[in-house]
Amino acid sequence: MVRFKNRYVLCEVVSEDPRCRQCIEERAVGLAVRDAIGRVHGDYGLACCSISFTVKYLNAYTGTVLLRCRKDSYRLLCSALPFVRQLESRAQRYPCFLNTLHIGGTIRTCQKFLIQYNRRQLLMLLQNCTNEEERQCIQKSLLSCSITEEQSHSGDEEDDDGTETD
Amino acid sequence: MARAEPPAATFERRVLRSAAEHHYLRVRLELPDGGARPSVAQFKQLVVSALRELHGEVGAALPVDVLIYEEKTLSAILRVISSGLVKLWSALTLLGFYQNRRCAFRVLQTSPFLLALSGNSRELVLD
Repeated sequence: MVRFKNRYVLCEVVSEDPRCRQCIEERAVGLAVRDAIGRVHGDYGLACCSISFTVKYLNAYTGTVLLRCRKDSYRLLCSALPFVRQLESRAQRYPCFLNTLHIGGTIRTCQKFLIQYNRRQLLMLLQNCTNEEERQCIQKSLLSCSITEEQSHSGDEEDDDGTETD
Repeated sequence: MARAEPPAATFERRVLRSAAEHHYLRVRLELPDGGARPSVAQFKQLVVSALRELHGEVGAALPVDVLIYEEKTLSAILRVISSGLVKLWSALTLLGFYQNRRCAFRVLQTSPFLLALSGNSRELVLD
């Protein structure tokens, strides 16, 4: 038996409108991505990507999305992601775009990358902060995020809950 | 490094990788009798719409040229970039309708050399 190889695409939803957060949900993101693939790559591309395509993990608070597709067709998926222009849910649509952060073979590598990425973001915030209160707040979350990582290492591979708040 | 003198070469092997920039297809459009026949522009539009349906905007952006189109016999010669040959061929095959009427594309010949389409051995009449 040979296992089916997948690719996991880690993206973040970037939007000017803070109200967009509430419409980040699995169905809306999945539909928006499918729609973009259908537009860019047609019936063939949509059928290729639809094999085992799911939204594996979604964090509406940080705007992180983890998509899964077959290894053969991840190029089709990645090339269609920049064409996602809006998310639609509950008859409301907000303009936004997907920023691809990482493409990995397992959820675990994506999770590791996400932890590293968010830690780097925190360091950048630390450099840019203006007053002492902000600085302490960020330092506290920096310390707490290293604890989260320790916990996530002991968890199993399918454990999605490895992100820290930022 | 001295090489042993090979025996006089009896044959020489030449390999031609398919490096041709374009591929040419001779196609025929089949329509039910009495239907409207597409003009050249409509024919090109039909080809592009077939590509757009199956391969989306990426497919519709493929450089495809209609070199010759005969409205009487509905046959044409298409030129396409080699990397898009499979896309074009599959899109033509899966096209089923022209103006809400059944239609079909028959790909008669395909070649990287235009000259090869000048004759068709399948249509030779042997005495």
